[in-house]
Amino acid sequence: MKKRTVALLIVLPLLLAAVSLFIGRYTVTPSDVLHALLPFTGETTIENSAVVLQLRLPRIIAAAFVGAALAASGTAFQGVFHNPLVSSGLLGVSAGAGFGAALAIVLFSSAWATYPFAFLFGILAVLLSYWVARIYKTVPTIMLVLGGTIVSSIFNALISLLKYVADADRQLPAIVYWLMGSLSDVGYSDFWALIPIGAGLIALLLLRWDINVLSMGDKQAKSLGVNVRRSKTAVIAAAALATAGAVCLSGVVGWVGLVIPHIGRLLAGNDNRRLMPVSIAIGAGFMIAIDTISRMITASEVPLGILTALIGAPFFIFLLKKTKGGGWRE
Amino acid sequence: MNALHVDDLLFSYGEKPVLDGLSLRVRQGEICCLIGTNGCGKSTLLDCVLGYLHPERGLIEVQGENVHTLSAQALARLIAYVPQVHARSFPYTVAQLVLMGRTAHLERFGAPDAADYAAAEQAMAQANILHLAERPCTQISGGEMQMVALARALAQQARVILMDEPAAHLDYRNELLFLEQVERLLLETGVTVLMATHAPNHAYYFESRGHNVTVAAMSCGAVAYRGAPREVLTPEILREIYAVETRLLPYQTSGGTAHQIVPIQTLQEGSD
Repeated sequence: MKKRTVALLIVLPLLLAAVSLFIGRYTVTPSDVLHALLPFTGETTIENSAVVLQLRLPRIIAAAFVGAALAASGTAFQGVFHNPLVSSGLLGVSAGAGFGAALAIVLFSSAWATYPFAFLFGILAVLLSYWVARIYKTVPTIMLVLGGTIVSSIFNALISLLKYVADADRQLPAIVYWLMGSLSDVGYSDFWALIPIGAGLIALLLLRWDINVLSMGDKQAKSLGVNVRRSKTAVIAAAALATAGAVCLSGVVGWVGLVIPHIGRLLAGNDNRRLMPVSIAIGAGFMIAIDTISRMITASEVPLGILTALIGAPFFIFLLKKTKGGGWRE
Repeated sequence: MNALHVDDLLFSYGEKPVLDGLSLRVRQGEICCLIGTNGCGKSTLLDCVLGYLHPERGLIEVQGENVHTLSAQALARLIAYVPQVHARSFPYTVAQLVLMGRTAHLERFGAPDAADYAAAEQAMAQANILHLAERPCTQISGGEMQMVALARALAQQARVILMDEPAAHLDYRNELLFLEQVERLLLETGVTVLMATHAPNHAYYFESRGHNVTVAAMSCGAVAYRGAPREVLTPEILREIYAVETRLLPYQTSGGTAHQIVPIQTLQEGSD
């Protein structure tokens, strides 16, 4: 893949973000958008300004970070677990965060606690998964995957329990809606979640060579000179942090953390030095596009988790055909 | 100074020790063939030397440095590893895999630079796989893959290379090709090799080419016999270790008389 194409992919989310500012059910002219963003270029109404700056801009930024975080974490998890079928929700982050959000909805019936609860339980789930895997002296890969599966199943059961006891008129729809993913309530006050996402993304970018080597398996990685325990823990912590931040902003958005890394591989190859930034860019761009479509097509927004699969899957199949699969072994 | 010095090793996975009182010295530039039955602890010994497993007792020194006090990076500059079968989870290109051999020479959070690319390319040239450089590793043969693993070990520029039954899955020709490649390596770079193998004739092969080869035969978690192929790979010792009747056959080469040992039949275990 040429350097120019990589550069193009990196610019893609910025372009999509710019376009997305002009799109929505409330019509704002291009000049109004420009005036709202850069007041010195001219004046616009307070309504126009609010739509652009208070509604669209925070959503676009959040969408970009969520997509980037899920794609980068998925890439990292697939690498260190040398398993192309795991996603960012591995180790129970999504299920834990889902439970946290549902718990907050049932306990407080208001939105303020949802984000911090989702974040805390997302992190708690990862720690639990790690603890389960620690039953052995070392932390074998397969035990971590198994630990994540077990912890996810526990939290999914607890989510079902909460749905069962939730008030069917108000709380239950809120839980279900949250579990399908949405950015419709995101505002600047939730932007603290960008800090763990940003920190996780920076760490994953720094560790991308280590992820290459860790994907050779523990023994070979060690023999090649990587401190396996330290590097692996750092990668897992960074990916979990980014995912927890993303899940608490958007709810559970499936598909992105599993498939965007593969789209990245088809376009940029397997070397994480190139794959990681490309995945981040594609994830951010894809999420901006999905969220824009979500707020465009109907007044009651279509949950993101539904759109990611419905729109993403055909795109993935198209790429798969075009690149002849990218060299996977039968 | 010995390239490798293992002294009085004790290691167990559960109650029963796998290695018990194992000692082994390998001199600089020597190729040491490690033989023994399945499950006798050959791979466990290699894993301990790699620092991947931690023995309960004993000392392991590589180039005079204690393996278990060195950082992973410092150790990888001293020892490289060629696995039995290379896992191919992602379709990395051959060049990318060989480049990973440079990890031990990178800065923290660093990436390979021009010198590392050059070293990887030289390693691929030495292993005769330059023509495979851009091929995905999932689309090359098992024999080619072992050459890639060898090239990666070369790129690592370590003075000691451990090999765990590196030719076990190769066909008739590829097995010989691999041995010839190891042989060239010994001549050109003077590395020390510790190779676990199931084929006693590997040792005889290196002997026939005039290399400094020794054999360590493992039994009951320790090195039971140690010496030149002709001293250790005898029908008597192979009968004791494998319960197999064998015959040593001399044959003429341009360099003189060489030997191969051929299996005749299995014997009741424990019969002498």
